[in-house]
Amino acid sequence: MTSDAAAWEALRLSLWVACWATVLAVPLALWIAWILARRDFWGKSLLSALVHLPLVLPPVVTGYLLLMGFGRNAPLGRALDSIGITLAFHWSGAVLAAIIMGFPLMVRAMRLAIEAVDPKLEEAAATLGAPRIAIFGRVTLPLIAPGILAGAVMGFAKAMGEFGATITFVANIPGQTQTLPSAIWAALQIPGGENQAIAMVMMASVVAIGAVLISEALARRVAARIAGA
Amino acid sequence: MTVFAAASLRGALEEIAQAYPGDVSLSFGGSGTIARQIAAGAPADVVVLANTLWMDWLVEQGTHIIEAPQPVAANTLVLIGPKDAEPLAELNDLPARLATGRLAIGHRDAVPAGTYARQWLEAAGLWDEVKDRLAETDNVRAALAFVTRGAVPLGIVYASDAVAEPAVKVLWHAPASDHDTIAYPAAALTPVGKTFLHALTSPQAGLIFTAHGFQAVIQ
Amino acid sequence: MTLSVHIRHRFGTFDLDVAFDAGPGITALFGQSGAGKTTIINAVAGLFAPDAGHVTLNGHPLFDSTAKAFVVPAARRFGYVFQDARLFPHLNVRENLTFGTRYAPASAKGASLDDVTDLLGLSALLNRMPATLSGGEKQRAAIGRALLAKPQMLLMDEPLASLDGPRKQEILPYLERLRDGPLGLPILYVSHAVDEIARLADTLVLLKDGRVQAHGPLYDVMADPAAVPLLGVREAGAVIEAEVLTHATDGLTQLRSSGGDLHLPGVQAQPGTKVRLRVLAQDVMLSVNKPEGLSAVNVMPVIIQDVHQGDGPGAAIALRAGDDRLLARVTRRAVAELGLTTGMRCYAILKATSVAPGSIGR
Repeated sequence: MTSDAAAWEALRLSLWVACWATVLAVPLALWIAWILARRDFWGKSLLSALVHLPLVLPPVVTGYLLLMGFGRNAPLGRALDSIGITLAFHWSGAVLAAIIMGFPLMVRAMRLAIEAVDPKLEEAAATLGAPRIAIFGRVTLPLIAPGILAGAVMGFAKAMGEFGATITFVANIPGQTQTLPSAIWAALQIPGGENQAIAMVMMASVVAIGAVLISEALARRVAARIAGA
Repeated sequence: MTVFAAASLRGALEEIAQAYPGDVSLSFGGSGTIARQIAAGAPADVVVLANTLWMDWLVEQGTHIIEAPQPVAANTLVLIGPKDAEPLAELNDLPARLATGRLAIGHRDAVPAGTYARQWLEAAGLWDEVKDRLAETDNVRAALAFVTRGAVPLGIVYASDAVAEPAVKVLWHAPASDHDTIAYPAAALTPVGKTFLHALTSPQAGLIFTAHGFQAVIQ
Repeated sequence: MTLSVHIRHRFGTFDLDVAFDAGPGITALFGQSGAGKTTIINAVAGLFAPDAGHVTLNGHPLFDSTAKAFVVPAARRFGYVFQDARLFPHLNVRENLTFGTRYAPASAKGASLDDVTDLLGLSALLNRMPATLSGGEKQRAAIGRALLAKPQMLLMDEPLASLDGPRKQEILPYLERLRDGPLGLPILYVSHAVDEIARLADTLVLLKDGRVQAHGPLYDVMADPAAVPLLGVREAGAVIEAEVLTHATDGLTQLRSSGGDLHLPGVQAQPGTKVRLRVLAQDVMLSVNKPEGLSAVNVMPVIIQDVHQGDGPGAAIALRAGDDRLLARVTRRAVAELGLTTGMRCYAILKATSVAPGSIGR
């Protein structure tokens, strides 16, 4: 593959992995953010610590833990294999690594948004006859939507930039797991590879900046609506 | 005394540094990363890299070098499998042994060990068959880890790596003629670094290198 | 339509033990801050379960600690108007108003959006966002939202507390319309403002330190001398009903009550309308003989019903004027010196300003 083609392939794969990772992680992150924000239960601090672990562990360590847990030879890996899901050296493994690395950031953003919703509004909705699901869907969700969006964008951006855990878990396989950061790293490892790297760095920056701009614009729209503009 | 060195030299260099009279601060990393850091002005007295390509690049960048770079150790390439792997009857059995798994090597362009592995596989006529069944890592120790964890059936690493890891078994030694010489060039960047450089080429250092699976360079 | 409330609840050092019934019309819960009013109304709404007791509506238990029965707020069909309005910030006024309508059972009767918009003067506000509304507008929207959920009963927790004088005066007529109008919803109304209670309530429950101190029809409770310390000496006063006769050119209005005619300033109502007046007890003077040459224009012949000596230097006198009752607050010394006793006939003197401003309502 020419280096240009390799670069586009890496971008395509990064977008693919990042989109999947975001879509799969958002509902789970929202649920965890909810119970951390609203519920009290035994083991709550433990759960919070566990969620934040990928934030504080070196990415390589996280990747190694994933290898130990989900590698071909590992218990969970074998279990998933038997039902047809192979994560090893497959883009789905890159998705898992991206989800885990981005999860703490998503949960944090969403939890803050949920905590900012006045529970008295939810009380008011209950007195108006709304069942729990309706309260969540018609009152809470619209109010935390900007926070969910912020969390999703952070998760997406993190997935686009994830390197250490991914390469340790699923290596660098063009077309499968050679994401943009991996390709940039590989280019930088070759003497004189800076030019190729620069092109890919610009690609990555455009995507990241684009994502942030879109989320900012959406957040502004929501805020303006509430302010009555 | 600050020494920047390629990651694969960790065990050996730590021992040499301990035996050295005086404090030595060791910093390990990928050859490319180290070279770029030094070119950008990192305050190292000595640099030891894992291939001549990056050393040549460093010289081209105009980095101030006291003495011409010289190799301080050499290495050989081995094919490894998990500890309980069956011996390989002939090298051409490699693709079959892979079956549905992958061959773990360092990244073919970015990691020196990966470049050497590719050269060897090309010389052995196996490259085309296995090039789409690779698991390329960002450093050779990660490839070793894949084999240790049973994530892959085979890997190509340095002999020094195989020595360091009891859970793997060497299945084949690459003929030295099948790849570029695996030499570790070292250079002194400051006058102070010269002393450590000489220590690296001493007989004692040679013994330590050999014990760690490298080949000592005969001066 | 009866709401039967019996609640025992303890939190921290506060101990609540109350029992009362609320029938049709407006039942007011009155007490100072910390008397337990909001706790009671929240328990009625089902926002929490008290330690013990029961809340029953027309015989159906909404909460019963012995039977372990508890109906969730959404199923109780009470419209709750909160002190802080609590409009949904991301929905405009119309969307707020119609929020609960879809949850009302098909059989529920209630007003339509147009009815409520007219009743509360919301037509110009329908497309506005809550953040752009004034306090009074928010509160009206909150009332409308509660009504449009087609509740069986309204619960209002100090709905006017966060409004200033003029805004309050603006909304009180709307609340009177709720009580008197075609909707005819029973309302449980929590307040610590005596003028609101005097103007709106049909039944009054007086709370102090977590206990019910007095409970009964408004006129009876307000005219009871025992209510004076509970309402505060400056606010206590009996409520009487009078009919507006004429507005004089010098600013006084002539009203007819069963005890005699009164001349009061600041009455806006049209001739022929019946209004409620709260006559402040501290501004009612007594004279054993019919007074002559006084500046006060209102003099009514009264019969003393009861002389109630308090702990301090004051005494509260219950008076009957025709069919109405009045309260007068005088000193114990005056009681002694004038020899005021039950059954005695004398005269009550009301200055034109003896009627609490803002307590002239329908």
